[in-house]
Amino acid sequence: MLEVKDVGYWYTHQDDSLFEHVNLSFEAGQSYAIVGQSGAGKTTFLSLLAGLDKPKAGQILYDDRNISEIGLTNYRKNDVSIVFQSYNLFTYMSAIDNLLTAMAITGSKHTGDKKYAIDMLHKLGLAHVQMQKNVQKLSGGQQQRVAIARTMACDANLVVADEPTGNLDEDNTIEVVDLFQKIAHEQGKCVIIVTHEAAVAQMCDHTYKLEKHVFSESV
Amino acid sequence: MNFIRRAWLSLTAKKGRSILLILVTSAIMLFVLAGLLIRNAADTATANAKASVGASLTLSANRSQAFKEMKKSSSSSSRPTLKMSSVKLSDVKKIAKLANVSSYDVTSSTTVNAKSFDAISTSSSSNMPGGSSSNSSGDITVTGVTSTSESSSFDDGTYKITKGRGITSADENTNHVVIESELAKEDNLSVGDTITVKKSSGSGTYKLKIVGIYKASSSSEASSAMPGQSDPSNTIYTSYTFANTIKGSKYANTADSATFTVSNPSKIKSVKSAGNKLINTKKYSLSTDDSNYETVKASMKNIKSFADKIVWLVAIAGTIILALIVILMVRERRHEIGILLSLGESRWKIVAQFFTELVAILIVSLAVAGIGGKFVGNKLAQELQSQETTTSTSMSAPGGQGGSMSGGRPSGGATVTAGKSGGTPGMMGGRQSSSQEQLDVSVTALTMVELGGFGLAIIFLSTMIASFGILRLEPKKVLIE
Repeated sequence: MLEVKDVGYWYTHQDDSLFEHVNLSFEAGQSYAIVGQSGAGKTTFLSLLAGLDKPKAGQILYDDRNISEIGLTNYRKNDVSIVFQSYNLFTYMSAIDNLLTAMAITGSKHTGDKKYAIDMLHKLGLAHVQMQKNVQKLSGGQQQRVAIARTMACDANLVVADEPTGNLDEDNTIEVVDLFQKIAHEQGKCVIIVTHEAAVAQMCDHTYKLEKHVFSESV
Repeated sequence: MNFIRRAWLSLTAKKGRSILLILVTSAIMLFVLAGLLIRNAADTATANAKASVGASLTLSANRSQAFKEMKKSSSSSSRPTLKMSSVKLSDVKKIAKLANVSSYDVTSSTTVNAKSFDAISTSSSSNMPGGSSSNSSGDITVTGVTSTSESSSFDDGTYKITKGRGITSADENTNHVVIESELAKEDNLSVGDTITVKKSSGSGTYKLKIVGIYKASSSSEASSAMPGQSDPSNTIYTSYTFANTIKGSKYANTADSATFTVSNPSKIKSVKSAGNKLINTKKYSLSTDDSNYETVKASMKNIKSFADKIVWLVAIAGTIILALIVILMVRERRHEIGILLSLGESRWKIVAQFFTELVAILIVSLAVAGIGGKFVGNKLAQELQSQETTTSTSMSAPGGQGGSMSGGRPSGGATVTAGKSGGTPGMMGGRQSSSQEQLDVSVTALTMVELGGFGLAIIFLSTMIASFGILRLEPKKVLIE
């Protein structure tokens, strides 16, 4: 589904590259963890996969098409869904409105279907009262569930998550990673999670470790 | 149209910010509205002032041509004489039919000597050469008019009918006269009495029937300064036909001068040009007086230019203020923009969302400004009305402009109306309408549409300026870094 070909990234000089000649592939129905020390460049790598930035070298292929050719905006709109550590919800909206807005922007086949949005939030354990509240009035765990529900409500086949459990306690962490596993295994989507938590990585199907500018698959 | 929904959600969720924006935009709109109202009021005031000042065209003998003729015919043996032609009434009627000529008046004046009564004698008159109260040029001025009510002195209130009635066009071919109250008092005359005058040169007496008595408000001051027949108390008004009868049979169907009121002062030149084609310009001349009209036009042009500047200044200032606020708003909402971009929203739709929010703010602000504008409009109307009245008054006040012309006629406002029925022959001037139109400075639907247009332009420019930030924003920098 997603193929990283000879990708390299640096900020100012190639000599100071975060990583170079990266070749990885990600398949649908699988979950992947990208681990590494802080500052190693895993979030930067994720931003390349999410179409938030362009690689300095190499190319990223989505269904055999270079995402630069697809257009990063189109790619983000149609093919990829992003979950952030800080949830990144629309703070002036309720949980339902957050889902409806994302569905409308991404052109989901369920655009405008409020019942679908409610079902999605319900599946993620949010009560009806909580769904109608402004998202800022929800707990961190609940907000992250809304963010994941938003991802599920959109039709993107690729889900990338940047430290999705970074702000959550242990119980919530397990529940959230479980949700990602379900998205991968039950909905057939490709889930890529950047994390520094070994426990989270262990729950994923595959783990790639970024160490000393090089990616390696951990068994 | 998801961006419209987002705009609505944002506006309703962040009430404090929305109210603040409404207040700022309302203030800007109110200033723009005030500017627009001043501009519209200036337009109305200009039209009113132009209409009230008016302009006139005077047909009289061509004096310069007469002087040239006099110089040509002069010789060392004989004393040169100035031959002034009287205006033919047939010419007057032809000119009166021209487009934009609303009315006309003819003037015919002469002097007589009082017979059955005594003229008012002034102490200064005996001190002045030729100032005798009974001399060859007569001690009473007979001013023939079409109608006293159309006469400048009666029109501007300098003279007022106190008893009986004034001269009207119905008095043509009669011996009806209107005399001054001082003269009536001195000679114990009243309405219905008959007085007798004799020609100042040659023989002939005329009986005049008094139909009215007028009061000259300036008679007390003027009488001490004006000798003999120039004293307003010694002026009697009659129909121009009777004045011509006194002057002699050759003056039938003539007048000393005729003054035409031009309804549209801006057309005075074309009327004059058309009029010149109808007369013998060697004998007669058509002179215009639109100086007051030009003065008003220039003064109003300044007000309009000032109002235009206010509108643009406020619009530019409003754009800058609103642009700064929107820029700050965009900076504050960078995170939201980042999320939208990460979801794949196009940048122009994000700009459209902000524009929609401001349009909604503008609609409320227009309503607020419209309500506020009603009070601003009333205040401006009062202010401009008083300004317009002051301008008109200063232009019509006696002595308000220039010095007196020969013949002792007060200038200023009197000059404006001189040349009409009560004017000295050959005297010219503009005409002032007595009607004062109400100045309308109300907020109309058209004003609101214009204001809405300005508002839209302001918020469009503000959004465009602020959108540079949105167009350059990188979602990775906002959301991840």
